[in-house]
Formats: sequence, structure tokens, C-alpha cells
Amino acid sequence: MSEMDDTFKDNVLEVENLNVEFSTYGGVVQAVRGVNFSVGRGETLAIVGESGCGKSVTVQSIMGLLPTPPGKITAGEARLRGNNILNLPAKEANKFRGVEIGMIFQDPMTSLNPTMTIGDQISETLMVHRHLSYSDASAKAVALLEKTRIPEAKKRAAQYPFEFSGGMLQRAMIAQSLACNPSVLIADEPTTALDVTIQAQILELMSELQKTEDMSIILITHDLAVVAKMADRVAVMYAGQIVEMGTVDEIFYESAHPYTMGLKEAMPSNRKDRAKKLTPIEGSPPDLFSPPAGCGYFARCPHAMALCETKQSEEFILTSSSSHFSKCWLQHPEAPKTDGLFQVGDDHAG
Amino acid sequence: MLAYTLKRLLAGIVTVWFIATATFTAMHMVPGDPLMNDKAVSAEIRANLERKYGLDKSAPEQYVIFMKNMLSGDFGISFTQQNRQVNDIIRDHFPVSATLGIMAIFFATIGGVLWGALTALYRNRLPDIIIMFLVILGISVPSFVFAALGQLLLVNINSLFGASIIPVAGWGTLSHMLMPSMVLGLGTMALLTRLMRSSMLEIVNEDYIRTARAKGLSPSRIFFRHQLRNAILPVITVLGPQIAAITTGGFVVELVFAIPGLGRYFVQAVQQLDYTVIMGTTVFYGAFLVLMVILVDILYGFIDPRVRLS
Repeated sequence: MSEMDDTFKDNVLEVENLNVEFSTYGGVVQAVRGVNFSVGRGETLAIVGESGCGKSVTVQSIMGLLPTPPGKITAGEARLRGNNILNLPAKEANKFRGVEIGMIFQDPMTSLNPTMTIGDQISETLMVHRHLSYSDASAKAVALLEKTRIPEAKKRAAQYPFEFSGGMLQRAMIAQSLACNPSVLIADEPTTALDVTIQAQILELMSELQKTEDMSIILITHDLAVVAKMADRVAVMYAGQIVEMGTVDEIFYESAHPYTMGLKEAMPSNRKDRAKKLTPIEGSPPDLFSPPAGCGYFARCPHAMALCETKQSEEFILTSSSSHFSKCWLQHPEAPKTDGLFQVGDDHAG
Repeated sequence: MLAYTLKRLLAGIVTVWFIATATFTAMHMVPGDPLMNDKAVSAEIRANLERKYGLDKSAPEQYVIFMKNMLSGDFGISFTQQNRQVNDIIRDHFPVSATLGIMAIFFATIGGVLWGALTALYRNRLPDIIIMFLVILGISVPSFVFAALGQLLLVNINSLFGASIIPVAGWGTLSHMLMPSMVLGLGTMALLTRLMRSSMLEIVNEDYIRTARAKGLSPSRIFFRHQLRNAILPVITVLGPQIAAITTGGFVVELVFAIPGLGRYFVQAVQQLDYTVIMGTTVFYGAFLVLMVILVDILYGFIDPRVRLS
């Protein structure tokens, strides 16, 4: 574990105190409330959470893709190699978008222009950012398609999105996002719209390319199986905040937040000793029009205490290397011991 | 693409045949005949004339003769205009109507796409509100009102300069054509503006526009390369029927601006039951419109690969 920490010391991307609001007819929704994280070089950070927890909004804010209005970044910084990239005008943002940070999306079927060939859509990026000629860019586009294992790349480059299958389109999306050798790839639920066998292929391709291209990945997902397969570190998001963050082993084997526990119990398992009914998390997330004063998970938490309703927990650090924290009052030294939950002072499993 | 085009052409020929047959049937079911207009012809002269024009034959026989002649490109001689071939009438007057129609379509399309895109860019701001108000006027006010207002405007301009800078009516030079074609295209332009606006607004929220932004493309490149081409598809779809509306709707504008187009003959012929001219102009217009719709479909195929390849 300590080896890993050294590799990730030089952070490519750092997000600090990110706050995002949406103005709607019903009022102002505070979608992201003070999110902090960083991504090291070559590292995969997974951001997990249920629908509406703010995980997509977080990465879209970084990329400047939030529709403004109604969206608004009210506070915070995102630093790419030390330079703030939040709230930049389009012209400035386009110096890093597609160049330093590539992005792929949930539904590859609708994420590509239906009236433009795949090859042209990839070469467009190269022509704009690398100032290549059309023929050079087209040749490079074919090479990129080959890199993502698309058979008969040359023929496929001349085809339109509707002639591709979903999995092939996601490969083409990956090829497009890699065109300018970005140092960070943001994957916003890249496999949610694909069937399970294709999912595995796409994830494999991503981790392979991550090694050969030496890039960091921010993986947005709600699928814990995908997290286990891909992530080095995991941030668990709930109601616009990161409630627990740690290495993938820490999150899975030393879960220190009741919400993380809940997510795990809601996941099917084929292990004999865990063969039981799935336990859904009862209730629904808090109303972010008026965020609760205390913990967002209070109403659904089986271990909630009186304090949780009125006061937000600080981030309790659980490891000496400070890689693992939980935003839960149960980690307070005076809190009661809770069965199943990893708490400050517990022995590490591995 | 070739097979698609041929298939469309074949269907077009069947359509034109259907138009010809339907017109022929309807025309013969109207009481009276072309000779009714000539006053006080005796029964003898009438019989002679009927023999001369073949009106003494039964309707099916006349139909066969008409179809045969039509296939060889001959629509016959007008009943009401002395010794004038229907082909000559079409040849003399259709180019005028076609020029007017094409210019109107040109104005309507360019204007519609431009205003539509503009209103979408300025959604809910002043330019959008002003243009959308004018659009409602353009759709709801009939063309003869605009024709009269257009003439009034020209009169005012001319009297302001004290000389006839832009002719108020008539036909011949480009300056004659400007106002009538704009008036004729106005309704269509308004319709296309609305269509283009909603189509643009829909596409702004498409996933592939977000992808284009994530790729780091400039707003103008996204607008021209990604939005416009996709937004224009529904506009092209309605262009076919709109060409039909403009070419047949040209009659009123032709009348107000004293333009020697085909529309006048078309209407006159129906009033006077001039069989040959009715058939000639209807079949010709029909064939023209069918051809336009096919051309639009082919154009659609060029812009949208999904149509071309499936």
C-alpha cells in the first residue's frame, strides 16, 4: 500500500471545496457541497454513489460542461497541474478540454454526431488541437481506432455511428478521447448502457490503455463490481458530499461509513457465506433544495445518533497514511462501537 | 442510392398518371363543356366543332386519345385562345412562375435557417422575442395583404427618391422580382424559422453536442459543423410540400404584381372549362411538384447518411 502512495504523490488533478448549485423553478438545488479530491498520475479514482448524488455534476463542472444557467459553480477550485481550470471561458477551457483531459460518456449511441463519419469525428479533434492536415488526421484516426481494437479500422472510420454497435461506439469514443494523449480520462458511467460481456471488454481496454498511455482515470459509476475491477482509490458520494474515501481495499474491507455498508449490502454476491437476500437502503436521499444541517444520510442510517441530525461530522482519518477517511460521527473516539463498521482504532484486515 | 432514386422516380410517374386521370375524370363530371362559352352557336356549328375537337367521342375514348398525345408530349390546342398550343402557354409563362417560385423558396430557406438559428442562440432574449412575434404575423397574415403592403412600401421608397428605383409591378429585371418573391416566400420563411428554432433548441441538449464541447471545439465550430447540419434535417423534410404550396400559391401574388405567370392561365382555364389547358397545366404542375419532392428526398439523403444507406 505504501508503494502505491508514493506513485500517486504527484497529483495531476486536484479538486478543492467544489460547490455547485442549480437554479430551478422549485428553488436552488445544492447539487455538490464542498467536494475535495485529487487524482495521482496513472491512478484510477472511482467516484461511486446513487443517482442524483452529484457525481456527474462534479466531473461536468471540471470540464466546463455544466449548462449555465441553470447550473452555477459557487465556490471551489480544480487545478490541473497547479492551474485552476474552473469557470474558464470557452476559449481558455478548450486549451485543456480534449487535450489534457479526455472524456467519455454513458450512452455511446447518442454521444456521437449521427451525420458525421466516425473517422471525421476523431480527426476533427486532431485538426483543431494538433493542427494536422485532413489526410494526416484521418490516418491518425484509423490508427487510434486500431489501438482500441476495432477490426477493419480503415473501413469503420468511413462509417457513421448508426452502423456501429454500442460496444464498438464506446471504443470509438475512447479512441476519440485519446486522440491528443490526455493525462486524465474522465469516464462518466462508461459501461452503464452496455451489456455485461461488452462491459468487461470495455473496462479491460480502458485499463490496458491506461498503462500504455500512462494516464489517470476518473471513473464515475454506481456499479461496485466495476469499482472493484478498476479502481485504485474510491470516493463514495452521497447527497453532494464525499462521505468516505480510501483505497479500493479500504473501502471494500474496512468500510467506515454506514452508507458504504449499505451500498455493499445492496450488491448481489456469489460468495457462499454472503448468500442472503439483498438489503436495499430504505428511504430516499435528502431534499437538496434545503440541505440538512447535519448528516445527509441521517434519515436512512441504521446507526444514527442525535448529534447526526444537527451537526455535520468532520472527516475522521482512519489510517496513518491518511489515505482513508470517513465523514461520520461514529468515528469519533467517544462514539459507540458498531457491529460490522470499521472504526478508528480497529485492527486493519490486511 | 441509385436504386433509391429510380424507385422514387417510378413512384413519381405513377403519381403523375394518377393526377392526370383524376383531373380528367373530375373535369368531365363538371356540368358543361368548353364550347358553352361561345355565344349563340347553332346546333349544326356546335356539332361540327365537337367533331373537330373530338368532343363527340365517349369519355373513355377521349381519355385514351389524351393519354396518347400526352405521352408524345402534346397537350393540344387551347379552346379559348385562338390557335394557341397548350405547350406554348406553358413554355411562355412557366419560366416566369418558376423563377418567382425558386426565388421565393431561396428567400424562405435562407431566411428561415438564419432567423431560426438566431432565435435559438438568443432564446428568450429580445431578438428572439421580436423575431418570433414577426413569425406569428408571417404565418397568420395572408399573402395578398403583404403583397399590397409591399407595393405601398415600394411606392413610398420611389417617391422618397423622386424616381422609380424599384418597379412596383410588372416583370423583367431582377428588381421586378425582389419584392414579389419575398412576399411569396414570407409565409414559408416564418414556418421554417419556427421549425429551425425548435430543432436547434432540441439539438443544443443532445449528447453529441456535449461530446463536441468535451472535445474542446470552439463554439462556432460546434454551431456550424455539429448543430446546423443536424438541425436542418426537419427543415428539409417540409421543404418539399412547401415548394408545392409556394408554386401553387403564387397566383395571388402574380395577380397583385401583374406578373405574366402560369397561375393566371391555370385559374382562367378552370373557370372557362378549357379542357386542354386544364389538363396541360395540371399535369405539368403535378409533374413539377413530384419532381421537386423527389429532389428534396435525394437532397435529404445527402445530408443524412441514415436515409442514404438504409
